[in-house]
Amino acid sequence: MASIYAPSLEDSAEVKEGFLCPLCLKDLQSFYQLQGHYEEEHSGDNRHVSGQLKSLVQKAKKAKDKLLKRDGDERTDSGYESFYYGGVDPYMWEPQELGATRSHLDSFKKQRAARIDHYVIEVNKCIIRLEKLTSFDRTSMDAAQIRSLEKSVVSWVNDQDVPFCPDCGGKFNIRNRRHHCRLCGSIMCRKCTEFLPLTLAYKLTSGAREALWAPGQSGSPGSTGPVMQQTLRRGSISSISSVTSVLEEKDEDRVRCCHHCMDALLRHQRKLEEKDHVPDIVKLYERLRTCMEKVEAKAPEYTRMAESLNAGETTYSLENAAGLRMEIQKYYELIDVLSKKILTLGVKDEVQPHPKALQLQRMVRYTATLFIQEKLLGLTSLPTKEKHEELKEKRKEELEKRAQQERQAGLEAHKRRLENEKNRPALSANGDVPGPRMTKAAGWLPQSDTLHTRSELDDPLLQQINNIESFLRQARSANRTDEVAMLEENLRQLQDEFDAQQTSRAIRLSQRLAEETDLQQSQIEHLQQRELEHRAHTKTSSDFRERETAQTREEDGESLSGSSGSFSRLLGNSPPSERQREKHTPTPPARNPFNEEHFSPVEEKPTNSQTANGKKEYNPFEDENDEEEEAPETGKAKSPRNPFEDEDYDDGGNPFKEEIPAASTNPFDEDDDEDRTAVDDTIEEELLLQQIDNIRAYIFDAKLSGRSDEVELLSENLKELQRTLQEQKRKK
Amino acid sequence: MNVTLAVKQYISKMIESSGPGMKVLLMDKETTSIVSVVYTQSEILQKEVYLFERIDSQNRDNMKHLKAICFLRPTKENVEHLIQELRRPKYSVYFIYFSNVISKSEIKVLAEADEQEVVAEVQEFYGDFIAVNPHLFSLNLQGVSRGRSWEPSVLPRVTQGLTSVLLALKKCPMIRYQLSSDMSKRLAETVKQIITKEYELFDFRKTEVSPLLLILDRSDDAITPLLNQWTYQAMVHELLGLNNNRIDLSRVPGISKDLREVVLSAENDEFYANNLYLNFGEIGTNIKNLMEDFQKKKPKDQQKLESISDMKAFVDNYPQFKKMSGTVSKHVTVVGELSRLVSERQLMEVSEVEQELACQSDHSNAQQSLRRLLQNPRLSEIDAVRLVMLYALRYEKHSSSILPSLMEELNRKGVSERHRKMVQAVVEYGGKRVRGSDLIAPSDAVAITKQFFKGLKGVENVYTQHQPLLHDTLDQLIKGRLKDSQFPYLGPSSLRDRPQDIIVFIIGGATYEEALTVYNLNRTMPGICLVTDILPNIFLCVQQNKETRTCLEQLEGE
Repeated sequence: MASIYAPSLEDSAEVKEGFLCPLCLKDLQSFYQLQGHYEEEHSGDNRHVSGQLKSLVQKAKKAKDKLLKRDGDERTDSGYESFYYGGVDPYMWEPQELGATRSHLDSFKKQRAARIDHYVIEVNKCIIRLEKLTSFDRTSMDAAQIRSLEKSVVSWVNDQDVPFCPDCGGKFNIRNRRHHCRLCGSIMCRKCTEFLPLTLAYKLTSGAREALWAPGQSGSPGSTGPVMQQTLRRGSISSISSVTSVLEEKDEDRVRCCHHCMDALLRHQRKLEEKDHVPDIVKLYERLRTCMEKVEAKAPEYTRMAESLNAGETTYSLENAAGLRMEIQKYYELIDVLSKKILTLGVKDEVQPHPKALQLQRMVRYTATLFIQEKLLGLTSLPTKEKHEELKEKRKEELEKRAQQERQAGLEAHKRRLENEKNRPALSANGDVPGPRMTKAAGWLPQSDTLHTRSELDDPLLQQINNIESFLRQARSANRTDEVAMLEENLRQLQDEFDAQQTSRAIRLSQRLAEETDLQQSQIEHLQQRELEHRAHTKTSSDFRERETAQTREEDGESLSGSSGSFSRLLGNSPPSERQREKHTPTPPARNPFNEEHFSPVEEKPTNSQTANGKKEYNPFEDENDEEEEAPETGKAKSPRNPFEDEDYDDGGNPFKEEIPAASTNPFDEDDDEDRTAVDDTIEEELLLQQIDNIRAYIFDAKLSGRSDEVELLSENLKELQRTLQEQKRKK
Repeated sequence: MNVTLAVKQYISKMIESSGPGMKVLLMDKETTSIVSVVYTQSEILQKEVYLFERIDSQNRDNMKHLKAICFLRPTKENVEHLIQELRRPKYSVYFIYFSNVISKSEIKVLAEADEQEVVAEVQEFYGDFIAVNPHLFSLNLQGVSRGRSWEPSVLPRVTQGLTSVLLALKKCPMIRYQLSSDMSKRLAETVKQIITKEYELFDFRKTEVSPLLLILDRSDDAITPLLNQWTYQAMVHELLGLNNNRIDLSRVPGISKDLREVVLSAENDEFYANNLYLNFGEIGTNIKNLMEDFQKKKPKDQQKLESISDMKAFVDNYPQFKKMSGTVSKHVTVVGELSRLVSERQLMEVSEVEQELACQSDHSNAQQSLRRLLQNPRLSEIDAVRLVMLYALRYEKHSSSILPSLMEELNRKGVSERHRKMVQAVVEYGGKRVRGSDLIAPSDAVAITKQFFKGLKGVENVYTQHQPLLHDTLDQLIKGRLKDSQFPYLGPSSLRDRPQDIIVFIIGGATYEEALTVYNLNRTMPGICLVTDILPNIFLCVQQNKETRTCLEQLEGE
């Protein structure tokens, strides 16, 4: 009773569970059985679901339908709690194809063809006649001769047949004489005549002539077109006006014609011109697009490289990545410059371009800035050479630690290891298992173990290096992006640490000791978290490692990849302070690179900026109902859309203007030709520059969306950074 | 059956098929709204469309380096404008798309105008409606009826809009209409005519169960638009006015310049998408959480970023912060304004009485609360009139109706003559005489018991007791219980199975409360794929402006 009369949608009913066949509701024991059953029994049933299990939602729907049909009034329903889910649920909707369309192009073309044929024939006729008319030397002949020649080109309409001017309707008499169009032979009065200048005639016919005689080289008539044509058309107008004053017994430099023929020819001419004329904006725009495409193509490659490098891997060389980064940045600059050029096209001309043309330019510029914003913010920064080395070291140590743990685990509890083994395949099959530590332990254990057997004979550091290299390969092939992100975070912290170092070498020296202890502590902590009983062993091993570090360093150089080889050799010869920095790798803040607390800001950046861009926008359609449709649109366009213009008034807020000099002092350039000892400064500079770049991009963004307080805050930061940069340079 | 997606697909198809290069989008007034509701500017900019022009705009320059994509309704004026355009083309190539069926003769005229062979494409893309939500479309029409029949000029437009929805969704439906409404019968017939005439177009793949088009008339449920709503979207519309997903906030005291007009689109505003259908209380909480999140991320203004690491942290958080700040400021402003209006107009009290009037049948209680509220000096004129209208509709035939004294009360309150007259108008529009369904008094035993159980269970939320009539109608339809005597099929055939795809059209417009109902039906019955298209706005309400405000104005016009 209650169930029937309860509010209509809250009826309760039997709910079947398990692997039900959506169509016949047969209960099957497993998914595979269900799939098999489904494919066997119902494959032909319905198009919606035919054969694919890809959309379980659809099947659920289907099932529901069946259920409804069968059970009559008893329906299952969840009532209205879903009220609170909110949002648009795309899963509700079946994949949707494009709605119905209907093309009228064929009938349109047919209709048009009839019309166009006629028109084209007329124009072609005119041009052929024109060619004949202009093929003889007018100056040397007398009027009668010319006239007979002209008459031979086209038969003239009989004078008696036309009592009135067909165009203006004026009656012909002694004073209002008849004139013949030399192109079509029709009659009109003097007022209705036009004159086609011979120069234009030559040009019109030259196209035809060349097309006839040299089909391949039809480019030339148009190439002279634009400039010539201007003067010519002006000429034709003046000649028309002069017609009224001068009696036209002999047309030495022009051909008399009716305005129909004139129109057709002029239009034809204009079309020819347009075909060959490419306005500046198009040229610039095309270049802009190619640049954008290049960035689109190169950016992912770079991101891959940067991620790999930031993870301390050695597949890509740092130089290559830096080169690519440079290249991409060059493209950004190019995009910026090009779009700016587009923005200012024609602004300085005497005749201001049409407001719409300006609007177009602004929109192109706006799009380009959106593009830069979106992509530039997503451009991962590279580790510096030293950072890269440090990263590599750190990974090695990490892996070494793990290897040790593994070995101990193996030695101590064989059972446990078996357990581990059991877990491994499941986890590694899972791909992105949360908790990176687990993932790693899962994926790479076996190999580190084998390495380890050898390492017992070898020097521990060398073994570390080997381990790291193999682990890195595995990590990359396993696509552990989460780790990469964490390493990036580590890198940042390392950079911080590096700054601290930079302040004073003396401090650094003392710091070293402290941090070495930190390292030990960190390792201890690390181990404590996992296996308390291993602590003692680890400690001794790391102590051992410290003692060995200085000597092994040189040997390490060989096993490092080409990019860093020279560098580490260099380190071997450089003053002790350099070495210390190198050894300094496992710094306190980076204590545990696999710490979960790190999130991956770099990876988030692109998406954020993207959505941010998408969100904060104004829509040109907003004012569609307004009377003065144009005004608000352009007004609006001005303020938010031209961030670069605005910024020019600011204190160096323009990210791109100053970016160019900044980029030219790019550390990677300097690396090549400067003395290696300058490396410290360059790296510091590079870091600063990267930060400055970022800040600028943000300022630009903030301005774009008109948050002035942020802009202030940011430009404050920017100034500070620039000051630091200056100081750096001075020190150097 | 997602109308938003349908329009988006049409538009992106248009743009894609024009190839690379700079483009201009040529539209008319209506297609401008159609496009702008589903696409944001930057989305379109990324597709290399840099200019948006009206075909009737005189202020357009020659730009032979642009490709023109024309998306136009096939009206006489547009064809005329297009002919002019083709005679003197301003752009290099024209891709022409009409939003509805265009006649052969008009194609011919256009073809003849295209002497310079600039037209590269002529197609019909049936995006002839405004897709408000994925399950809600509108035609943005007003004043569709004259008395109880169609305004002659509007019927063709409504038919076009409705058929274009069917075509965009690729549905060739059976049609049911509301018997008590001549207008719905008339519309059903004209739609059927089009389907018959353009049978080639409607030749879609047959589905197991044929889709259904249900045509209803607003006059059957005049109560729903009179109630104050408490979900986000509905409140924004009711109190601030939601027009093509845009709100005008310029009247809000102390509003900052960039918030004068804001766009609320579930497509690219996550917060809005998540809160669209939540009620005011929940939104308050969510806004608070949003604020707190934001505060956490917000860089401390005064804090000096002293070290590079401070800086770095700042830089890392900045994009997120920036993204949030836009959303936060927008929604905080909107919600703030809503709550200001709620307290200013004492909408909580008003709504409580409204719901009591609409959902309960205790006359003496209802009239007492109503009287008490009318005494309240802070009650706004519009709310007072609405309450009395509700009373008049609800207790139209009640033996001890106090309507005359309420009218007197209104008079005393200084409610204008104009508004007072509407009480009578609304009874004429949606009174018992007109209605075909049991809007108020459940007559059969089942309904009474239902009511009874409802009463026993108590009410969860005083302000949201009311269920629009549409809910019952659709529920019955889905269960296959909707009476053929009230909602007959057009033509001989009828649906034996339960319908799967349903398109609902309400002559007179739908309210956002009804949109919510459809949304919930879609959610709670994933099996049914209840179709979703309500069309706000033919005569009464939703679309332009305040639901009831328009409603009142409309009634006044009668």
